[in-house]
Amino acid sequence: MVREITFREALREALHEEMRRDSKVYVMGEDAGHFGGLVGVTIGLIEEFGAGRVIETPISESGFVGAAVGTAVRGFRPVVEMGLGDVVLVAVDHIVNTAAKTNYFYDGQTTAPLVFRVSSGFRPSGGPQQSQTPEGVFANVPGLKIVMPSTPYDAKGLMKAAIRDDNPVLFFEPKQLYNMKGEVPVGDYTVPLGVADVKRPGTDVTVVATGVMVPSAIRVAAELGKDGISVEVVDPRSLRPLDTGTLLNSLQKTGRVVIVHEANKFMGIGAEIAAMLAEEGYRYLKAPIRRLGSKETPMPVSKFMGEYVIPQPRDIATAVRELAAYQ
Amino acid sequence: MEATSAGLEMYRLMLTARRFEEKSLALSHAGKFSNYHSCLGQEALGVGACYQLERDDIVFPSYRGIAVRITRGFKLKDLMAGLFHKSVAPTRGRIPMHHTPNIELGVWGTTAMQGSIPPIAAGSALASKMLKTNQVSICFFGDGGSNRGDFHEALNLAGIWKLPVIFVCENNFFAKSMPVSRSTAGGSIWQRAASYGIPGELVDGNSVLAMQAAVRRGVERARSGDGATLLECETYRWEYHSTEGDREKEWAAGLDEWKAKCPIERFEKVLLEQKLATRTDFGRIGSAIDAEIDEAVAYAQAAPDAVPEHALENVYR
Repeated sequence: MVREITFREALREALHEEMRRDSKVYVMGEDAGHFGGLVGVTIGLIEEFGAGRVIETPISESGFVGAAVGTAVRGFRPVVEMGLGDVVLVAVDHIVNTAAKTNYFYDGQTTAPLVFRVSSGFRPSGGPQQSQTPEGVFANVPGLKIVMPSTPYDAKGLMKAAIRDDNPVLFFEPKQLYNMKGEVPVGDYTVPLGVADVKRPGTDVTVVATGVMVPSAIRVAAELGKDGISVEVVDPRSLRPLDTGTLLNSLQKTGRVVIVHEANKFMGIGAEIAAMLAEEGYRYLKAPIRRLGSKETPMPVSKFMGEYVIPQPRDIATAVRELAAYQ
Repeated sequence: MEATSAGLEMYRLMLTARRFEEKSLALSHAGKFSNYHSCLGQEALGVGACYQLERDDIVFPSYRGIAVRITRGFKLKDLMAGLFHKSVAPTRGRIPMHHTPNIELGVWGTTAMQGSIPPIAAGSALASKMLKTNQVSICFFGDGGSNRGDFHEALNLAGIWKLPVIFVCENNFFAKSMPVSRSTAGGSIWQRAASYGIPGELVDGNSVLAMQAAVRRGVERARSGDGATLLECETYRWEYHSTEGDREKEWAAGLDEWKAKCPIERFEKVLLEQKLATRTDFGRIGSAIDAEIDEAVAYAQAAPDAVPEHALENVYR
């Protein structure tokens, strides 16, 4: 059975189902209990599973992330709530120095199966320290996996896969998508990590989009279709590991590619994707690769400024038109 | 002290750590391998703390963890091969010897971030609580590490959650070149325990028996569900922070005073006074250790170098 639920509800459903399936899965974080987490994903969990498996923490991001790693090496599968995601940067030591190196240090003796839930991206009234999209900060670290869904279906399936994965996974939840509705099957399914998805097939230009940029790219594709430009939208869904095969297949088909994300353009994940496509797919290129990302500034609080800084659908449309016309 | 054999066994472990370190320092100074972090002079601390632990208790050593590892049953040849970064070492040349975990021996990971281990140990204790096992977690860190925010966060978590964990601060009075007198406000680390509602204790870290007794009290608390303990154990390292540097002037000034408090000589005196051992026993034990160390060095030197491709294994599971 399939029905429409929100991105937030899809995540919550994944947590419910995984906690029922495996007693080693537990949730930890600030306000994760009756309050339901700062972004409302964990509402209802403590009522079903109790305070022993929905662990409310003091404001101690470094401390409780380190503690979560301590439980993970002992066989647990913590899902760590990072509230408004920017606080993940407070806990970088235990994510990058501890969790990411656990498999390497223990050399097979144990693992660090953790999920860090990081809400990311622009938030009205957020400002420079509550609107970041810091996946690129972590994507350079071997030992970590990075996931960013763009639909309720992917959110549930990827969350379940991330919880079952034996590695530390940073799970980025674009804040703007929490209320997005979409079709989600009832019951169990997973979306494997490291597999991209063609969200809309096309033949003229590929748009590689992540997170909140995926629905924008799909809208742009529909519009440009009316003008006879066929746009293929590809969502990598996982940024590490990156499904290079699906991206290269799309480039082979279209020969033209725009990459768009909410994170800053400089050193953003788009740079890696562009470099990979240029290195491995240069034979297919019919036009220069275009990258779109936020302008090089901390994220401002004003909505008008945010719209100026973050790539908008019209920016995607302009880039696609230019590439389509490139001879 | 329990029995003659227990006393002599602790003596053997301390002397093994001492001789192993002396050999390692000599090899490092001779350029056989780089950068050795010694805990020469701190042998009583690791041996006394770990000797009575159960096999399945969970130990997170500090960077100066030779005595801890030897007490938990590590083989000298494995440690020595680790120092030479050889392929036969448990670390396979991938990570420094000082990090070697061995879950079977109850020695879990450490981290090069000084002061980052207490939250991990608190988490391990939380796991014991969730699993309803009787296992105690114990972690070691330096006086320097106790000034990190992680120290505060971990002790607070251990306090509110009543975690079965023992925090052992190895106060050797210097964080590399920085003395406690200039780094640590309030002049005491153990007294900080009061603010977390857990007992704190100042321990003579150069007395293996004092260490044993203090940790035993912590273990009893932890196993009976009373929660965490903080021990500040005073000791002194007899070497520079590592073999890479020799510019620690303030540390050098305190060396003679602390060499007079040698933990091994002190324990010899106790054993002799209580007629639990003779000088002949000490000599016999020392010779056996030296032979074992020579064997370990020969084994490590003859072993094949690290295999470059092993660098890429177990990055992910």
